[in-house]
Amino acid sequence: MSATQRPLPVPDEQSAPFWDAAAKHVLTMARCSQCGAFSLPIDIVCDHCHTNEPNYSFEPVSGRGTVRSWTVIRQSFLPGFEDVLPFVLVDVELDEQADLRMVARLLDDTGAPSRVGLRIGMRVAVAFEDLAPGKSVPAFVLDES
Amino acid sequence: MSRSGTHNRARNEVAIVGYAQSMVRRHAEQPLGAIAIDTAKSAIADAGLTVDQIDGFVGSALFPTAGAHAAIDGVSIVTPHWLAERLGVNPRYAAGFQGFGQIPGSVALAVNAIASGAADYVLMHRALHNPVGQYHANPMREAPGPMQWTAPQGFFGPLAMIALPYTEYLERYGARRETMAAVVVEARKNGARIPWSYWHDRPLTAEEYLAEPTIADPIGRFDCDIPVDGVATFVFTSAERARDLPNRPVHVSGFAMGQPTHRRLMLHWPLDDIMATGAETAGRLWEHAGVARDDVDLPQVYDGFSPFVYFWLEVLGYCGPGEAHELVEAGGIDSDAPDGLPVLSGGGALGNGRMHGIPQMLECYLQLSGRAGERQREATVGLACHASPHYGGAVVYSSEA
Ligand SMILES: [Zn+2]
Repeated sequence: MSATQRPLPVPDEQSAPFWDAAAKHVLTMARCSQCGAFSLPIDIVCDHCHTNEPNYSFEPVSGRGTVRSWTVIRQSFLPGFEDVLPFVLVDVELDEQADLRMVARLLDDTGAPSRVGLRIGMRVAVAFEDLAPGKSVPAFVLDES
Repeated sequence: MSRSGTHNRARNEVAIVGYAQSMVRRHAEQPLGAIAIDTAKSAIADAGLTVDQIDGFVGSALFPTAGAHAAIDGVSIVTPHWLAERLGVNPRYAAGFQGFGQIPGSVALAVNAIASGAADYVLMHRALHNPVGQYHANPMREAPGPMQWTAPQGFFGPLAMIALPYTEYLERYGARRETMAAVVVEARKNGARIPWSYWHDRPLTAEEYLAEPTIADPIGRFDCDIPVDGVATFVFTSAERARDLPNRPVHVSGFAMGQPTHRRLMLHWPLDDIMATGAETAGRLWEHAGVARDDVDLPQVYDGFSPFVYFWLEVLGYCGPGEAHELVEAGGIDSDAPDGLPVLSGGGALGNGRMHGIPQMLECYLQLSGRAGERQREATVGLACHASPHYGGAVVYSSEA
């Protein structure tokens, strides 16, 4: 693994379990201890029941979802992405909960959506990019199953 | 009375009585603060007033770059407090607006200050700066806080932000990217007629628009307003005091803003969020201003990114959901056509440069005060939008009190 120039996530007290699981290639979502709903991003206040003590638990999820939108990034404003330009970003609604959304790269693309034929509604599954030792970030691949 | 209780006690009670607009340049020779001082003094003189009469200062100092540029007051931003101090004024009222819809937000501060008696003559300004170097480039190597959920994954900056709902729009409604050429060409046509515009005398053809490669599909360079240095200032006072001043006053009939209640990832703007909250804002606007859509002669929609034109046309009800691209394709926003909607007659941000909602507000002011010169149109009621419908807002102006 060559050293990436890409920005690395900085886990905090609340998000550490998410990134620990991601390092093992397990996607988790934060479940509110009060109402049971998932939130991303997590926050001091639950999006759904508005408790200020969500005490999230991080539970493994299927990582499967549906593309709600996408774009091809041809110029990056962040360091470290030059090698992967152009790349596809997908806005994904995860199966676990209505409107539970995650935006990340689509990995098994060639950068040319016309060849992929990417459309809203396509199915995807989570994958992980290993950026540094102990630092993996979620991405997606097309779900052929 | 409605649930929101928006009986508007300030309706047409506050008016714009003077203005100044600096030249809009890629990189001005003067520091931003120096331009702001000149522009402020010009606007005050234009209103027939003197600096010592100004007792209120409002504005927004948002520096809308995703890059690692420092926000330094007087250099890359100008706050109302900075401006008051440098003009040698101890204001009775000074306030900055913090939200996204900075122009309607600042107008609301001015109106409220005057209507409440907190100040009698309020200077509102907006100063925008284009820093040297790439506007949005950010060398960050670590992504803490909200950024940890987006930047490491490659989701960053406003082009990706607007590309996602625009893709949704195109696929959901079977619209074509090529149709947007008519929006950008219209903005640049009108901007080319405006002496202070960065694009003065430089219209764009549809062929030039279509030849430009995309940066974040389906967004290309000409879909984005160009970063500039520029300052605009307006002077507000009560409708009563305005009668004694030299220019024909333009009254603020009402304004509206909003924001979604559903929290998202940073810069994640799904189309449904934009349209749902935007529709609420539009409803509030008609109620607060006491006008209906058909009363508006000059609906200036916001166009900092070209898809906002579609979104505002639809939330304001100029066509149904998903129909704005058809309206545009049919020539419906050609401001030179007798039945065209003059939504970008002031050139907008695409035709002037990244002055945020200033071109929309200024076009309403110039047309309604009868000061548009060769570009003068017949208009009594104007509407000026700013930002995205779900995080921004709009103001209704009237030449009649
Ligand atoms: Zn909850």
